Amino acid sequence: MAGPLRQGNCYHPGKATLTQRLMSMHPFQWFPFRSLLNPTAAFAELSNAHPDPTRMFFRRILWLALAPPAFVFVGSSLFGWRLGAAEPLRLPGDVLTLIGIGYFLALTFGFVSTAVLSRWMASTYGARDQLGVHFALVTIVAMPIVIASVCHLFPHVFINMLALIPALLWSLYLLYKGLPVALGIEPERGMLMASALVGCLLVGAVGLLGLTVALWTNGVGPTIGI
Amino acid sequence: MDGVGLHKRLEANSGLLIFGILLVSAIGGLVQVLPSIFQDSLVAPTAQTTPYDPSELIGRDIYIREGCGVCHSQQVRPLLAEIKRYGPYSRAGESAYDRPFLWGSKRTGPDLHRIGGRYSDEWHRLHLIDPRSVVPNSIMPAYPWLAERPANRGPDVRRRMRALQALGHPYSEAEIAAAPAALAGLMEIDALIAYLQGLGATLNAGGFDQASRTAPSTREQRPHSADGGDAHFAPEAAG
Amino acid sequence: MAVEQAAGRALRPAGVYHDRAVTALVLCSVVWALLGMLAGLYVAAELVWPEIDFGREWLSYGRLRTLHTNAVIFGFGVSALMGTAFYSVQRTCHVPLFAPRLAWFCCIGWQLGMLAGGLSLLAGWNAGKEYAELEWPFDIAIAVVWVCFAVVFFGTIAKRRIQPIYVSNWFYGALIIVIAMLHIVNSLAVPVGLSKSYSLFAGAQDAIVQWWYGHNAVGFLLTGGFLGMLYYFLPKHADRPIWSYRLSIVAFWSFTYAYIWAGPHHLHYNAIPEWVQSLGMVMSLVLLAPSWATMVNGVMTVAGAWEKLKTDPALKFIVLSLAFYGLATFEGPMMSIKSVNVVSHFTDWTIGHVHSGALGWNAMITFGTFYFLVPRLMGAPLHSVRLANIHFWLALAGTMLYILAMWGAGVSQGLLWLSLDEIGELSFSFKDIMASMAPYYALRLAAGLIFFAGVLLLAFNLFMTVKGRRTIAVAPPKTTGF
Repeated sequence: MAGPLRQGNCYHPGKATLTQRLMSMHPFQWFPFRSLLNPTAAFAELSNAHPDPTRMFFRRILWLALAPPAFVFVGSSLFGWRLGAAEPLRLPGDVLTLIGIGYFLALTFGFVSTAVLSRWMASTYGARDQLGVHFALVTIVAMPIVIASVCHLFPHVFINMLALIPALLWSLYLLYKGLPVALGIEPERGMLMASALVGCLLVGAVGLLGLTVALWTNGVGPTIGI
Repeated sequence: MDGVGLHKRLEANSGLLIFGILLVSAIGGLVQVLPSIFQDSLVAPTAQTTPYDPSELIGRDIYIREGCGVCHSQQVRPLLAEIKRYGPYSRAGESAYDRPFLWGSKRTGPDLHRIGGRYSDEWHRLHLIDPRSVVPNSIMPAYPWLAERPANRGPDVRRRMRALQALGHPYSEAEIAAAPAALAGLMEIDALIAYLQGLGATLNAGGFDQASRTAPSTREQRPHSADGGDAHFAPEAAG
Repeated sequence: MAVEQAAGRALRPAGVYHDRAVTALVLCSVVWALLGMLAGLYVAAELVWPEIDFGREWLSYGRLRTLHTNAVIFGFGVSALMGTAFYSVQRTCHVPLFAPRLAWFCCIGWQLGMLAGGLSLLAGWNAGKEYAELEWPFDIAIAVVWVCFAVVFFGTIAKRRIQPIYVSNWFYGALIIVIAMLHIVNSLAVPVGLSKSYSLFAGAQDAIVQWWYGHNAVGFLLTGGFLGMLYYFLPKHADRPIWSYRLSIVAFWSFTYAYIWAGPHHLHYNAIPEWVQSLGMVMSLVLLAPSWATMVNGVMTVAGAWEKLKTDPALKFIVLSLAFYGLATFEGPMMSIKSVNVVSHFTDWTIGHVHSGALGWNAMITFGTFYFLVPRLMGAPLHSVRLANIHFWLALAGTMLYILAMWGAGVSQGLLWLSLDEIGELSFSFKDIMASMAPYYALRLAAGLIFFAGVLLLAFNLFMTVKGRRTIAVAPPKTTGF
């Protein structure tokens, strides 16, 4: 079934109607969204595909990384950040822009480094090692978190945690479920590789937390009395 | 012989292995902990630090018994925000008579090293019996039983003071003999309040330099704030 | 290791591994896990609804939380370590336990001591030192049982029939030796009646001694002891030798040397000498290397044995425990950096860090080991692989949620406590910050419930496995001496 559709990828943009264009699109181009509804199919499709890393980066990862910062920017300028302890914290526009850009760069770096890390591990676990596949895997796995980041539109710390934590757990589930399918390895081997990735991601997350805190105490960011 | 070969000999000999572990793990302690144990300046009391009087001593033991230190630290770090919030930062000598130390590792509630004199005895009484009656959002447990028991329960206060005396706390025989009388009629809650009111009280009243070692720790002289819970370590209360 | 199995009396009793004390210790450990984690759940709930102590002393947060830490570390943790040490030392030495009656004494003595000790904590007997709260009568009892533990363990090693002492035994050995040293020094006190004593050390000196103890109780018990478990049970699960023998040597000695220095990072910016703090910080950073060396060794050992996951549901737990071990051993050194510690100290971040190790590493590897061990001890297959798989997901979700909730709470606390406004005054009052923690504490309670549900499944699964048991006796292989 994937065969004809893949050939259909070479459509002529000038001639086709929107419906025709959607119909003829490579499933790859919309699977990140379908992965939410039917992840098994999305992973199965990915297992046969050979996405191009450059395309994946510019057409998927950049956009996924752009969404949360955009939501934060809009939300913070409209409502201000609520840390729970006091009045909403309103930051000036240029600071918000700076935070937004920083967030975007961090997410992009996070997505890319996860994919690169995953490819680096591939040989140990006998998995496919085309970078494009790992990029695609990261986009599918990260999808729930990106969608849940809509909650940044109302930047209240706890509401955000409440939305993001289930999304994170769902992403975790997708990673364990999808990695072996997408990378063409046995489920058991996939479990090992997914756990290794989770370990690296946890270390990355806590490292980022530590770096942020160290920046605060060294005078970058909020005023703290030390 | 290479390293692995050397190790093969070590791991074939259980006595050598035990000795090796003991030696290697002891180095850190010997270099880092042992000097501190023999560094008397670490436990030389500051000019204001006096041994706990009988009611404070009993109060401190109750503080330990109830596990207050699980949520309350007694260590103001030398950081601007902490000095603003709590008061002068903690000196080593202030804990010279603390066996064990109660610096803590967690602040679910606020630090208490400078709590003395900030609130009235009556506030503490209400707060200990029903914390939410004075601090509406507090998650502190209530300690109603402290008000129902005499302070001289458990090991006799004279035995406690003798043990501390043996460890070098300068209690006189007269002080020890008079201790039971000092506790007469007090409930556990009174002893605990006495202990809390003594924490950093001389500092709160006058700072490190003004207070002298011989100044009597008369509770009457301390400023009593009757402002209830509003100023519960709020910025404005941290004079 | 080739083993011969025979039912009942087919072999002389002297020629059979003594596994009944092991079984007893493992089952007691499960009971302690249930009790200790239930206490943990209750104190977590008390932080959300403080009224639920109903004004009872023994349900009061300060006492119950102390029970929680003691029950999980010394009840659950040490019972599991003692049991697995007795199990693995016989098999790595090819001889039955030395002094099996003494092993039974260790088992029963430890359980009774911990039970009475736990009750004494609820009664308010508290020495006031973290993770060393038990009063002097229990300190003496612990020391006696510990010496017996050492006699049984090293006695078995002394009469071994395989010349090299296997690496898991180095770690168990370090656990026994170093914990004995720490426990004895830190517990030195002058008693005043049964229920009360005063520490031999005072103030700042007591602080340094206590965290030399406290940090290395984590180091040699919760890290080193469980690494012993890893080094024996991971290769057994995977049915292949450890990936790098050289790496295990380097990791063991550098770990044993470096860990002991790291205690003062619990006292950053406290009233102890600056050089002690800085040394503690540097050595904590150094510690990352041996910790991760062991992780790499474990990950690479299991990477080549993935087929085993098909038949061995328990291996999953060990794989995941390595991931959380990696997290905890990175987070620890990071939090010992002074400019991070200044924010994280005294906050719930510390609690989250402890639980990433305790739930993600210690509990997870113990569960994996028990799912492996109990069927073997009972000679019956695990009651339900499906339940074990569900347990795996509950454990993972619970641990993640716990860590995330505490990161959120801890970083907020640290930042808000120190935060100054534009005129340089404190931005927030303490009680407002405290009140804002309520949602995080609720989330943490939810995390605990999820994790505990998994432990209930474990207990049920193992209970049903024990019910389906048959007698089993395992003889050492017939190797000839040195």
